[in-house]
Amino acid sequence: MRKSWIPVGILWLSYSVLMMFAVANFSWLPAEWSEEAHVVDSAMLLLQYLGAPVMALVLAVMTWSVIGWRDKGATRQDGENIHGHRGIVTGWLIITSLLAIYVVINPGFVGLAEIRGEPSSDHVITLHGQQFAWSVEYENGATALDELVVPADARVRYDVMSADVLHSFWIPAFRIKIDAVPGLTTQAYATATREGSMNDDVNLRIQCAELCGPGHARMALPVRVVSEQEFLTYIDNLKAGG
Amino acid sequence: MKYVARGLVLAVTGYLSGVALTVIINGNGATDELAVIAGYVLALIGWLAGVGGIEAFGRQWIGKTPKVSESQGWKRYFEFSIDHKVIGIQYGVTLISVLLIGGLSAMIMRIELASPGMGVVDLDDFNKIVSMHGILMVAVAVAGVIGAFGNYVIPIQIGAADMAFPRLNALAYWLLPPVAVGLLGAPFLGAFNAGWTSYAPLSVTNDSGQILFNLAIITFGLVSILGALNILVTVITMRAPGMTWGRLPIFTWAGFATSLLAFTVTQFFAAALVLVTMDRVAGTAFFSPDVGTGLLYEHIFWFYSHPAVYIMVLPGFGVILELVTTFARKPLFAYKAVVAALLSIVGLSVVVWAHHMFTSGMADFLHGPFMILTEAISIPTGIIFLSIIGTLWQGRLWFRTPLIVAFGWLFNFLIGGITGIFLADVATDIHLHDTYFVVAHFHYTIVGGAIFALLAATFYWFPKITGRMYNETAGRIFGIWVTLAFNATFIPLFWAGMNGMNRRVGDYPAAFEGANKFASVSALILGASFLLFVGNLLYSAIRGPKAGPNPWNARTLEWLVESPPSQHNFHSQPRIVGHPYDYGVEGSIHAHFPDEEPHAEEQREEVTV
Ligand code: HEM
Ligand SMILES: [Cu+2]
Ligand SMILES: [Cu+2]
Repeated sequence: MRKSWIPVGILWLSYSVLMMFAVANFSWLPAEWSEEAHVVDSAMLLLQYLGAPVMALVLAVMTWSVIGWRDKGATRQDGENIHGHRGIVTGWLIITSLLAIYVVINPGFVGLAEIRGEPSSDHVITLHGQQFAWSVEYENGATALDELVVPADARVRYDVMSADVLHSFWIPAFRIKIDAVPGLTTQAYATATREGSMNDDVNLRIQCAELCGPGHARMALPVRVVSEQEFLTYIDNLKAGG
Repeated sequence: MKYVARGLVLAVTGYLSGVALTVIINGNGATDELAVIAGYVLALIGWLAGVGGIEAFGRQWIGKTPKVSESQGWKRYFEFSIDHKVIGIQYGVTLISVLLIGGLSAMIMRIELASPGMGVVDLDDFNKIVSMHGILMVAVAVAGVIGAFGNYVIPIQIGAADMAFPRLNALAYWLLPPVAVGLLGAPFLGAFNAGWTSYAPLSVTNDSGQILFNLAIITFGLVSILGALNILVTVITMRAPGMTWGRLPIFTWAGFATSLLAFTVTQFFAAALVLVTMDRVAGTAFFSPDVGTGLLYEHIFWFYSHPAVYIMVLPGFGVILELVTTFARKPLFAYKAVVAALLSIVGLSVVVWAHHMFTSGMADFLHGPFMILTEAISIPTGIIFLSIIGTLWQGRLWFRTPLIVAFGWLFNFLIGGITGIFLADVATDIHLHDTYFVVAHFHYTIVGGAIFALLAATFYWFPKITGRMYNETAGRIFGIWVTLAFNATFIPLFWAGMNGMNRRVGDYPAAFEGANKFASVSALILGASFLLFVGNLLYSAIRGPKAGPNPWNARTLEWLVESPPSQHNFHSQPRIVGHPYDYGVEGSIHAHFPDEEPHAEEQREEVTV
């Protein structure tokens, strides 16, 4: 009974360290273009760090099963009659519960508050989803069908509507998403942090994320982040032109 | 085959008369949705009557004694047999065939997705294939393990001669072929393109294939509910003397928990689809933006479909726990805690549905409670892992194919569970929802958790069911091959999802080509592994070496009778005298057969060596 703790423990530690090293050094996350993106990515990273030792534990047991506990001589004999162990079960319950509670609080509620808390905004942009295109309506009434222009360093509220079926308003570079529901106006907030366009990053696009029919895959619209000044000029011109 | 032929004739007659009736009464066209509904309902009745309902039920209604199939050999699989073992095999073969058809549709999708732009199919066809693939596979995952092995194994494990309601059991199975025909026939009416989730209002306005989807899935719900009812009553009332709840084998416990859940929630999917159908044909407006509400469908749908994911995976837990004790030659670690965990999963799983709706636009104050409850499920799920770890600990592991596949299951389900936490967390889910990350997550949980369990169970009980041993080398190669290829297919898709690729798309930005190409090649390799699986089993079922009653030295009742078991399973009533997993206890036995004392003695020799 005793002797397995040591190799499994060593394996567990090494796997944990390896995985945490991998998490720290090889990020799978795309570039961040908004404050919300940073919140989401930090949460994602934290969950990866927390997941590493959990995953490592099971992998350690699986590894040692093959190396240490395989019935090598094909003896076909029974193992020890261990039915359970009250202490271990209770301990496990306490640890997993604490872990779950921790995750609910952080990143759970903390992230939730940062992303969907505080309903204030500097600008409001309305998006109308319709099979299979987005149209943009700015605060001065100007409308556009070819791109979404967003001011940097300003908190924007996106009001999202649909004229037919469910769609979903998603800007991967901002990590925000909210469905467009016929009959409802739904809302999302984002603060863009730097200027750029879809030429810089494919994720600077609105992508419809809810299956809405044949044209769903291509229901996308380029997003361009500009300075607030440029933004105001852009929507004025748009209004004058339209 | 005579009865199947009669069923087909009556089904076609039924369909045509249903259509004719609405055309005459209502003056609509022959492909009008009302005509399709009337046709389907009469076809279903005709089919059930034809395959054996007339003899099994109809005769009773006119005061004669009912009759069911008494055939032996191959014939009985095509007849209205009420033997739970025959029915289990019927489920198994039907669902594995559906699995292969669903697999082919996946191959088409992966070929299309190997590079951006459209190649073999167009965008709309892609959506239709993805919808068909989704629903076929969901059906296999929901009914696979419980339909095939639940039926075959549970009555024997509890020491019963059959199910509590054998005729009902047969009726439930014979409802299954119409489900497959309905779904696969939908392309003749324009197919359905709203995904397996069939969110309204898209499912109210798309082509008429949707109506066949609705009818087939309502029928499938009936299969689930009747099957679940049967298992519940069987386990409650038919246990052998001495088979207390505390001695119930863990696979039976898992099947019982699954059935509780399926019996309670399945009607909600049917309800949602009835509302969709009424919006389509009866002029109601449940989901119309002006009158009804846009989120109603999602709430009803997920009230079933979240629990459904546990309907898929709980029998998988049972299979893996059963295998791990047998091949580790150790008692199941913390048996009572596992049972408590199974039951708490049943309870919790009906109160977490809105974690599928964090971006749906539902009220923000609902996010917190659903996040808490969702994270809470990871605690009982953790107990299942603890039990597996505790059982493997210091075991004498016998690495036969079932255990190898079980190890694949363990790895996959671990990844599925951990990625579930990312989706349960509102902040991260807002980004990940409806992306390929979710696709990868649920493939890890469903293929990893339910289909791998189906494969492991197939190898484990194959010698019992056929009386012959599968080829071990081919089995091991398959186990390793399928695990590696599966992981190679779905790991890159986590990356694609995190990096901005949404799901259910036939085309995508060029930036995601690398990951998709890798996934596509791996998927083809994964698909090919199933040739080895099917080949091995088909060959071995006919040519394999005789397996004997108990090739695994297991202790539960199904291994204490001959392979395959006799018609009524036992030659005399077994008496349960001990725990099913008392490995390592000198002289302990689980059951003995009073009339065959020597036989029981012999078993005892075998299991305690
Ligand atoms: C620890 C356990 C699990 C957690 C915390 C978890 C969490 C989640 C969450 C929050 C979602 C919604 C994601 C989204 O759409 O944005 C989800 C999706 C899904 N999960 Fe899990 N899950 C777990 C286990 C499972 C299991 C065991 C299964 C199946 C056997 C499963 C199957 C699915 C499916 C099918 C979907 C997506 C359905 C769809 O959108 O079409 N999950 N999971
Ligand atoms: Cu869409
Ligand atoms: Cu769920």
